[in-house]
This record gives sequence, structure tokens and C-alpha cells, in this order.
Amino acid sequence: MSQSPEYVIKTRDVTKVVDTTEGELQILQPISIDVNPGETVAIVGASGSGKSTLLSLLAGLDEVSSGEIFLDGAPLHSLDEEGRAQVRGEKVGFIFQSFMLVQSLTALENIMLPAEIAGLEAPRERALEALQQVGLEHRGGHYPNQLSGGEQQRVAIARAFITQPRILFADEPTGNLDASNSDKVEKLLFDLNRESDTTLILVTHDPSLAQKCDRQLQMQAGVLTEINGQKAPQREAS
Amino acid sequence: MNRMSANLAWRLFRHEAKRGELTIILFAIMLSVAAVFSLSMFSERLQSALTAQTAAFIAADRVLDARHPVDDAWLREARQRGINTAHQVYTRSMVFAGDNMQLVSLRAPDNAYPLKGQVKVAAQPFEPGVTTEALPGPKEAWIESRLFQLMGLSIGDVLEVGTQSFQVTKVLSEVPDAGFSLFGGDPKVMIPRADLEATGVIGPGARVTYSYYFTGDSDDLDAYYEWLRPKLDREIHRWMSVEDDDSPLGRSVGRAEQYFLLASLLAIVLAAVSIAVAAQRYSQRHYDPVAIMKTLGASRGMVQRVYLLQITLITALGLLLGGLAGYLIQQGVIWAIADSVPVDLSAWHWRPLWIALFTGVICAVLFSLYPLLKLFSISPLRVLRRDMGATVSARFIQFLAAGSAILILMWAYSQNLRLSLILFLSGIVLVALLLLVTFGLIAVGRRLGQGKIGAWQLAWARIKRRAMDNSVQLISFSVTIMLLLVVLVMRNDMIQQWRDQLPQGTPNYFMINITDAQLPTLEQHFAAQNVSLDTFYPVVRARFVAINGEQVRTDVRKEGEEENQRGRDGLGREANLTWSDTLQYENRITQGVWWSERPDDAPSGVSVEARAAERMDIKLGDVLTFNVGSEVVDVTVSSIREVNWQTMQPNFFFVLEPQAMADFLPTYMTSFHLPSDRKPQITELMRPFGNVTLFDVDARINQLRNIVDQVSMAVEFILVLVLAAGSLVLIAQVQASMDERQQELAILRTLGAKGGLIRGSVLVEFLIIGAVAGLMAALANELTLYLLQTQIFQMAGSVHWQYWLVAPLVGAGVVGLLGAAGCWRLLTLNTSTLLRKMV
Ligand SMILES: Nc1ncnc2c1ncn2[C@@H]1O[C@H](COP(=O)(O)OP(=O)(O)O)[C@@H](O)[C@H]1O
Ligand SMILES: [Mg+2]
Repeated sequence: MSQSPEYVIKTRDVTKVVDTTEGELQILQPISIDVNPGETVAIVGASGSGKSTLLSLLAGLDEVSSGEIFLDGAPLHSLDEEGRAQVRGEKVGFIFQSFMLVQSLTALENIMLPAEIAGLEAPRERALEALQQVGLEHRGGHYPNQLSGGEQQRVAIARAFITQPRILFADEPTGNLDASNSDKVEKLLFDLNRESDTTLILVTHDPSLAQKCDRQLQMQAGVLTEINGQKAPQREAS
Repeated sequence: MNRMSANLAWRLFRHEAKRGELTIILFAIMLSVAAVFSLSMFSERLQSALTAQTAAFIAADRVLDARHPVDDAWLREARQRGINTAHQVYTRSMVFAGDNMQLVSLRAPDNAYPLKGQVKVAAQPFEPGVTTEALPGPKEAWIESRLFQLMGLSIGDVLEVGTQSFQVTKVLSEVPDAGFSLFGGDPKVMIPRADLEATGVIGPGARVTYSYYFTGDSDDLDAYYEWLRPKLDREIHRWMSVEDDDSPLGRSVGRAEQYFLLASLLAIVLAAVSIAVAAQRYSQRHYDPVAIMKTLGASRGMVQRVYLLQITLITALGLLLGGLAGYLIQQGVIWAIADSVPVDLSAWHWRPLWIALFTGVICAVLFSLYPLLKLFSISPLRVLRRDMGATVSARFIQFLAAGSAILILMWAYSQNLRLSLILFLSGIVLVALLLLVTFGLIAVGRRLGQGKIGAWQLAWARIKRRAMDNSVQLISFSVTIMLLLVVLVMRNDMIQQWRDQLPQGTPNYFMINITDAQLPTLEQHFAAQNVSLDTFYPVVRARFVAINGEQVRTDVRKEGEEENQRGRDGLGREANLTWSDTLQYENRITQGVWWSERPDDAPSGVSVEARAAERMDIKLGDVLTFNVGSEVVDVTVSSIREVNWQTMQPNFFFVLEPQAMADFLPTYMTSFHLPSDRKPQITELMRPFGNVTLFDVDARINQLRNIVDQVSMAVEFILVLVLAAGSLVLIAQVQASMDERQQELAILRTLGAKGGLIRGSVLVEFLIIGAVAGLMAALANELTLYLLQTQIFQMAGSVHWQYWLVAPLVGAGVVGLLGAAGCWRLLTLNTSTLLRKMV
């Protein structure tokens, strides 16, 4: 199970069905995709089409209704919440539209959090370094509500990279930001991603952002389709 | 990993405390501990102060009455335990002055008497008394004003007691342990204990009571009694404390103590309510951090450790601050009332502190439990799906656990299961009522809420949406208001009753032996002096001989005892008979009927006082036989009466139908009120009527009034404390819910809703909640009060219609105002600050 996997993400016929007051609702039709290590993948689609749902399954935040998901070899579909939490802590980084920083911890402490949870050595030093990388070294002592949206998202990026995760999930990371902040955050995201050779799964409805990824997937009413076209040249070259 | 949890918990605690995010829960715990601590400490101290004051009425903390002198070793043992002792001998004896003789109540105290209270003397009869430290010197006698009158004595005259002569040197105007009986006692004569044996009046055959007085620390006294008890013989010895006292005074103090206890219990409930609300809010606030931590890979165990640790830190800090605040508050209050009720500031009681800390801990733990379980169950998915709440449904179990905890706390503190149960059951009824109303409101609101979006619709929508989840809030408002109502109304009723007991102008002098012939002159004389007389009661002295022809047993009372046993006048073989066409004030027929409702040809009736009837086993229809002089009077028991012994009014065990007594010439008794400043006129008032005996109960009434005033004052202060605590709880509750509303307000604001609309809707929402809470509280209040009054306070139950209107109005007003104020504050912040404040 822990042999070096070919694909960093591998899914087989993953579906998601939820109970609602009006009966069962199938949010995702069977989805099978494979993602290579280091690949950057954009998922685009209309609001409500199921992008976030797919992301939550891939990241192990939620349970599949059926099908299989292997995340860096770990069979998420057969793990319970505790098991998935461990996988998340070891292999996954997150960036969200609404930043999701702990309001009562400072920027620095927010960045330290995953390192501490994972039990890494010298979390503070690592966090300081990460803070520098996102250009906020002088704001480490500030609380999230003392930072602008763009700054908060940069803190979130620093937090996502501190454990050097194999895979990074970003759900509309620029959705709450203005144009200039979006650009800054985008650049930071791709730069760090390239430097650390992380696999990136990015949900967005910004076509230009999607264009920067190796692959684009289109979600439509729970059906995922590959948008034909350019396969990432960088990856094939590397 | 464990150290990490501790680090994180500490870090979160530090930051959140600094940022004021823990204020609400911290404040709730603090408030609980402070309220319970200050209230119960204050009441324990007040109680000791009042007990100390009332101890004066038995001249000591404890009294041992004996028929024979007790073993000296008993007293040595007491002194060894650090208990002060004193001694006095009572007997009834004939005293002589020239040709006059009179039966008196003879008291011979030692020099330590009285241990509590004061002896007062005057230079001339009926003058106001002044406190004396000394007691009569050798061969001196101090005698009551009445005796001067009865025996034609003056200061300096000689009085013979048994074989010895004593010089009358002072007027004995007051002894602390005189009891409250108005006419029971013969006039008192006090001589030194050392001179008693020589008189020979306590020889064989005499009825003598040896009283031993004890004062000291109540634990020491209890321990001493434990030691003493096996040695006592019930036939010979009687151990008394002021709490055993059935006098108006003992009852007032007893009732006040129940009130204090009630207030402390209510503080416990208030504490629980405010913690419950705060804990819920605390948990909701942490949904996001928990979701984030879980997303980042934190295990369930780790999240649990972090938050349990944090709650522990909060509780510890809350206990510490609450304890301090509580101590300062009660210290301040005691200092403030020092002038009216002297409370010993050095007296320390541990129980209030323990119970306060316990309350804090138990409430914090139990009321956090369910919110924390909810918190732990938060799914990491919340980071993506922002509206995801918690998924735990053990609310019923939580209510049950928390409810029983409160009950047990109340019981442990009060050691009064009945009182605790009453409060608890009323609470349950209230909650049930509220849940019913909530459902009702939802149904009504569904109809009302349709149509154009205005403040009302918005408010309704919010109430509807929150109705179930935040029923806790409605419950907490109602419980708080109800508790405030209970203490308020209880205090009003109690103080009213105390006032009724001793209204201004309560007669402070009684006259007996007024002859038929004297009556008109006496009335004229008093009217001329501008003193109004109360009703004249005809009285005939009689001997109570038989019930249904069966001889009643001879008087078995100990004579010395009668002065301490109030309300037994005439219950020997000697009886004062009166007759009347009308039922006396504050008398109530419990069995049978008054004369007017009996057939005309029925045999002459008698109405018997209920307690006397019970004691002597007298039933309706029994024939009672009295001897009046040489005549025999047979009367049939036609009614049993309850008498309010709490009023300082003449009361009679036997009231006869007038026709039965038509042949007898009575004497009359009456009473009047003379203000203290007119006291010097009494001699002149009475001069023409040498045969009339005057009883001066002014001092007694003043003593009683003084104590009742102090008790009332104490009750007022307790009320103020409870009201203050309750208001703080209300404020905290509104604040907590404001906090919850922030997010919603921010969204409404962002969507462009006008400030006026938002304010209006919040105001309406709080008005509705406040009004409903107030109404429900008023309803539950009636139930609670009825149970409390009839089961605990031994008062008649009362209904308080006015509060059915007042409570909803005030509830709506106060809650609405607080809500509006909180909302105003939020609206002064601009939208982006609001959005950022969203957690
Ligand atoms: N637990 C759930 N219960 C009911 N409906 C859900 C649940 N989770 C997602 N949905 C619905 O599934 C659809 C897809 O949601 P989501 O994945 O968030 O879409 P996207 O991220 O593409 O906007 C939406 O219509 C959403 O309301
Ligand atoms: Mg989405």
C-alpha cells in the first residue's frame, strides 16, 4: 500500500450522494481521474456544479458514497475521519476562499499550527521562514482581522506550505480578493508550488487562472470532463 | 503531542482572554461564583447576627431548664469548652408588704446573668428603663412597676420574701427573657441568687425552675450538647435555643432565614442559567477553529484535549475572580448596613465558599458538556461548507444531567429537599410551558411572517429560525425573570405581613380588672386625656373542671416555664372566659359555626381556640364545664377557632355565647396605645383607678419591632443583591445573543439593509422574546410562590395578578432595551469591521 505510487491522486468511480428533505441528491456522478505528481490541475464549472464537493472528497475532508480514492497511496475511501485527519496532516495543504485562519491566533501562530499538529521540529522557525517567503515578516504578530484580505490569503498560503505537503488543495483562492491582490496571491501560489514541486488542485471560475494550470477539468452538474487541449508542456519536459 | 495541546490551549486562552472573546463565559462563571458566594456568605453572616440578636430573648444562646440544681461538673465541663455560663432560679411565691400580699414571679439570677440582652431599671414606676450592668445588691429587691401599684409600694419600702426582708431599690422595667405573653406572668421580683436559700421559698414542695444559660461558639455549643444529651432526663431537663422559639419573633427570624436560603438557591439557578447560555455561545464561537484544526490534521483527541484544557483554564480563572468579587461584594454590603444590622465582619463561614466554587465547577462542567460535545463533533467540512453546524443530538440527556445537578446542588446547600424540589419543579413546568409556546409561536409566525419584508417579518423570521436551537435563550430569560419575581414578591408579602403584625399604634398597654361600675368614668377620663381605648372585653375568672363530665387533669405545667411559653395563657385549670356576639379580629372559624348560624334553641355554645382544642382533645359537641365562683356553667363546643397569635392582641382560649354568662358580673380588659414620649403621663392616667392592673408591653413591642425592622432590612439587601445579579445575567444573555447576531447583521448590512430596518427588527425581536419570557415567568412565578408560601413559609398563598401584566411589560422593556443597546453598538461599527469581527 505504501509503495511509491504512480499517481499522486487516483480515483475510481467516486460518487457523492446526500440526503436532503426532498430525498436523495446525487451531487457527483461517478468520477475517475488520475493526477501525476507535481501536476497542476484546475477544476472549473458553474457555481453549485459540485467542485467543492469533489475537492472535499479528494482532500479527505468528507466520505465518498461509493468508489475509491487513493491519495499518495492512502486509501481514503476505507479510512475513518481519524485516519483521514492523519493523512491530511501528513500530505495535504489547504487554501480557501474565506482564508480560514484561526481568528484568535496571530499570523505567525496560524502558520505554525499545521507544523505543530504534525509534530514537526522547530515550528516557530519554519513559520518565520514561511512568513518571509510570503513577504509578511513584519506582520507575524498581527491577528487575522488586522490584516487585509490579500494579506490573510498570503498567511494562508504560508500555512499551506509549511509542512511541505505532497498535494495542495485550493478552493477559489482569489474569490474574495480584488484584482491586484489576486495577482499577488496567484503568483505566490504558483511560485511556491513550483519551488516545492507540489501537486496543486485548484478550484476556480477564473479562466485566466485555470489557463495557468497543466490540466483543466470541467465540472457540470456533477459530471467531470477533461477539457481537451494543451497538456502541460512543462511537465512533459521535466 | 500532549505538550502541543497544552501549548495550543494556553495560547488560545491567552489570546482570547486578551481579545475579550472569553468575556462572556468568564463573566458567567465569575458572576455565578460571585453571586452564590456573596449571597450565601451574606445570609450566613446575617443569620448569625440575627440569631445573636434574638438570643437576647432567651438571655443566652442556649438554656437548660431543670427542676433540680444540676451537677456542678456539667457547668465546669461547659466552661472548659470555652462556653460562658450563667444561672437563675425562678419560682412563684407570695410576697408581703405590710398587710398586702401578692403572688409574684421570683427571679434570683447570679452575677453573670444575662449572657445576652439587657436588664433595664427605672427610678420610679412606669418610667422608661435604662440599661444596668449591675444586679440587685445583697438584701435588695427590684420589682416591676405593676407591683408598686398592686401593693401600694414606693422605692425604699421593705418587701418580705419568705423569711427575709428586702429593700425595694429599683423598678425592674425589663428583663431579656420575659417572653411575649401579655398577661401570663405574675409581677416580677428580682433578688440576688445568693440571698435565695435564706428565704426558704425553695424548700421541698416548691415548684422551682433552675435555669442555666450558655453562650459561645455554635460549634462548641453543639458539641457540648452532644456531650450533655445522654445525661439529660426528659422529665427534668429541657434544652432550648432561640430557634426552637415559636414566638412572633422566632417566626420572623425563621422566615427571614428561609428567605435567605431561597435567595441563595435562586443564585445557584441563576448561575446555572447564565453559564448554560455562555457555554453554548462559547462552543459556537469555536466551530471554525475546530474545523480548521481538524482540516489541518488534528485528531479528535487532540481537539478534545485543547478545549477541555481551555475550559479548565477559564473555569479556574472564573472561580478565582468570582470568589474575590463575591467576597468584596458581601464585605461591602455588610459594611454598608453596619449601622442598622451589626454583623461581625470577622466571622467566617466555609460553606458559602465551597458551595460557590462547587456551583461554578459543576455548572461549568455540566453546561459545557453538551456544547463541547457539539464542538468536538464539528466536521472539518465546515471549512468548505460554511453553514455546517454540529451533529449531536443528546440535548435531552444534557438537560436531564444539568437539571439533576442543579437539584443536587440546591439540596446539598439547603439540606431542604422540599424547598429544592419546589424550585426545581417550577423550573420544569416553566420549561415545558416555554417549549409549548415556542411551537405555538412558530405556527402563528408562519402565518404572520408572510408578505412584505419589514422589521416585523424579519424579526419573526429570526425568532422562528432560532426558536428551537435557541430555546435555551428564551428559557434563560424566563427563568431569570421568574427568579427575580419570586424574590421580589416573596419579600413584599413577607414584609407586609411583618408590618401587619405590628402596625403603628399597636397597643402597648393593657388594663385588666376594670369593674363594671368604673367603666364609664374610665372611658371619660381617658378620652379627656386624649388616649383612645380599644375594645373592652368582659372577663370572668373560672376554673375549667370537666370535658363531657370527665375531670380534666390538674395543672401539670412547671410554673417557671409558663413565662417562656407564649400563648398558653389560661390553659391551666384557671381560665379567663370572655363572651361576645361577634368574632374577634384575626380569628377564623375552622370547624363548626358561630352563634348566629346556630338554631335559637341550641344549648349555650363555646368557641375553643384550635391549638388548645387539639392539646386537650376537645371536639365539636363536647360539653365543657367551668366553675365560676360557686356556680357551674356547662357549655357545648360549637366552633373551633384559629387565632393569629402573631398579633399583639388579647386572645382567649374560650369565647362563650353571651347568654351563658348573662348572670355573671364581669370585669373588663382593654388596651391602648400611648406613644413613648407620653410615657410619663401614665401615672396620672391610672391614678383614679387603683384597682386596675396595668401591663406595660411597650418595651417588648419595641424590641420586637426593632428585630423585625432589622430582618426586613436584611431581606431588602438580599433582594437588591439578587436583583443586581439577575440584571447582570440578563445583560450577559443579551450580550451573548448579540454576539451571535453579529454575522447576520453584517450580512444584512452588506446586502444594503438600512440601519433603521435592522434596528427595528432586532428591537421587535427582543421585545417579543422579553414579553413572552415575562409572561411565562409571571405564570410560573404564581406556581412557585404558591408552593413556597404554603409549603415552606407557612403563609397563606396569594395571587399577584398585577405581575401578569407587569412582568411581560417590564420583560419586553428591559430585554428590548438591552437588545437595542447591543444592536446600536454593532451598527455604529462599519460593515467591513463587522464582517471582520465575524468568526
Ligand atoms: N450536504 C449537502 N446537503 C445538501 N446539498 C448539498 C450538500 N453538499 C452539497 N450540496 C449541494 O450540492 C451542490 C454542489 O455543491 P458544491 O460542491 O459546493 O458546488 P460548487 O463548489 O461547485 O459551487 C450544491 O447545489 C449544493 O447545495
Ligand atoms: Mg464551491
